[in-house]
Amino acid sequence: MALQGILVVELAGLAPGPFCAMVLADFGARVVRVERPGSHYDVSRLGRGKRSLALDLKQPRGAAVLRRLCARSDVLLEPFRSGVMEKLQLGPEILQRDNPRLIYARLTGFGQSGSFSRLAGHDINYLALSGVLSKIGRNGENPYAPLNLLADFAGGGLMCVLGIMMALFERTRSGKGQVIDANMVEGTAYLSSFLWKTQKSSLWEAPRGQNILDGGAPFYTTYRTADGEFMAVGAVEPQFYELLIKGCWGMLQFPSQKTA
Amino acid sequence: MALQGILVVELAGLAPGPFCAMVLADFGARVVRVERPGSHYDVSRLGRGKRSLALDLKQPRGAAVLRRLCARSDVLLEPFRSGVMEKLQLGPEILQRDNPRLIYARLTGFGQSGSFSRLAGHDINYLALSGVLSKIGRNGENPYAPLNLLADFAGGGLMCVLGIMMALFERTRSGKGQVIDANMVEGTAYLSSFLWKTQKSSLWEAPRGQNILDGGAPFYTTYRTADGEFMAVGAVEPQFYELLIKGLGLKSDELPNQMSMDDWPEMKKKFAAVFAKKTKAEWCQIFDGTDACVTPVLTLEEVVHHDHSKERGSFITNEEQSMSPRPAPLLSNTPAIPSFKRDPFVGEHTEEILDEFGFSREEIDQLKSDKIIESNKVKASL
Repeated sequence: MALQGILVVELAGLAPGPFCAMVLADFGARVVRVERPGSHYDVSRLGRGKRSLALDLKQPRGAAVLRRLCARSDVLLEPFRSGVMEKLQLGPEILQRDNPRLIYARLTGFGQSGSFSRLAGHDINYLALSGVLSKIGRNGENPYAPLNLLADFAGGGLMCVLGIMMALFERTRSGKGQVIDANMVEGTAYLSSFLWKTQKSSLWEAPRGQNILDGGAPFYTTYRTADGEFMAVGAVEPQFYELLIKGCWGMLQFPSQKTA
Repeated sequence: MALQGILVVELAGLAPGPFCAMVLADFGARVVRVERPGSHYDVSRLGRGKRSLALDLKQPRGAAVLRRLCARSDVLLEPFRSGVMEKLQLGPEILQRDNPRLIYARLTGFGQSGSFSRLAGHDINYLALSGVLSKIGRNGENPYAPLNLLADFAGGGLMCVLGIMMALFERTRSGKGQVIDANMVEGTAYLSSFLWKTQKSSLWEAPRGQNILDGGAPFYTTYRTADGEFMAVGAVEPQFYELLIKGLGLKSDELPNQMSMDDWPEMKKKFAAVFAKKTKAEWCQIFDGTDACVTPVLTLEEVVHHDHSKERGSFITNEEQSMSPRPAPLLSNTPAIPSFKRDPFVGEHTEEILDEFGFSREEIDQLKSDKIIESNKVKASL
């Protein structure tokens, strides 16, 4: 497998971190999930392929145990707010002095710096602060967060896996690890670069919910069926739109796509 | 940079492919974007850091040019429906026989096999077929696709970058390339594994739109402010919820229990009435710096000027003064260095690329006069 022999230490947290570590485990890494003694199972249920170590990091001897693990590991994945690891004497300077090859991945909502970096938050907050939430939602309604998929998983967990893979690849040349600041605000914004890049194009000239891709167009949306189920329509190009019309109405004439 | 020296050939397509290649370029790869002669610019506008070669792949001599490029490249990224490359004699068996180290990335909607694999589609269709779309949308409304972010970019482009990075890493051990079937239906589903994994938990016990994470809860949604703007509330944990109530000027003992789902519709109305009384700026005054999990819903323009982004330098500009997000994540030693230049014109670098790949002046001239390639060099102003 691609990540055969790679050793990952995951410090337990919610959704984004567990997903990131699960992807690494799926592709062959050996993942140790470090959980607080007395805590319950991973509520995100993303523990596939991992082994669990219950360890009290708040005790100095517990932190020392983690230090020994990291001395022999390839990746540390920690989800705590900026400053927490440093307080436990487990910051990157210390752990990378022990092990210069260690890839220290820090996966948070707001990042390692900035006025929001020590605040609590959830997917919807990171999505809001990224600018992306303002574009999502129907005409006349409030912006709508698509569950916790965009910030927690796409801009968060998956983007962090990417950073870890970049660092692992780079390490095959330099022999050194790096510190990764993977945060959901910036990750979600970067994922959605297309929005900023096409901001001035006709794609977004109408208010939210009235454009082609955000629910405005009759040929790019969902419809309810007779049995209360739904069909998705995405017929943008004229030749595909023709087939849509044909499928709906047979050979009847119908107004042109632009005015419908 | 992390991908220094890596050579990528991107066959032009819409959104997912260009995004995938842009990420590789941002992190240091040299990306050649191959476009059809006579085609316009990349409508996705994701050409940052790339060079453009205009080449007619449908002509056998055009396909032969691509073959020569791939013989010396690390990654080929193609976005065509299953079978198209094979028809052009540019399938993986042929290109990897020339170059066993080639990573052949195939980024499609439906994948290289399966009953839908030769059909047209867009983000909303892949999202629908993945199962994920069925979970997204308000109570009493049809499912709603969040623009084309989930399938095109997350489950598509980004997932493909991941596959390419996995293959590049693996190649440092095996010396060999691989074929990657990156498709948006499976990529979006895998990204959303959490949904299947928690399907039986209480997180999803109510119908769509009535759960905590899909718009049902008054403490996990957006509210309109007095000035027609919006605030986002994500106060799930009790201690954060307390701070939310406090900031709203309400009293917890006068309200139903946070998790009393029957009371949620009423609570939403109550919170909405409170939020409507102050402006976005006033709410930020109250909630910024607290753990109430209440944040402004910033617009694409506002975010560039927001304190947090400014302090972090989260947005970059380019020679055309357009702002876009800085590449993520941040790597301490080998950060991404996104190009400052504008996107390339179609065929702007055709000749210089072919020259670099060992084509002679005569060959290039012949290809040009036979209209296999197109060169739209921008003349330098004197």
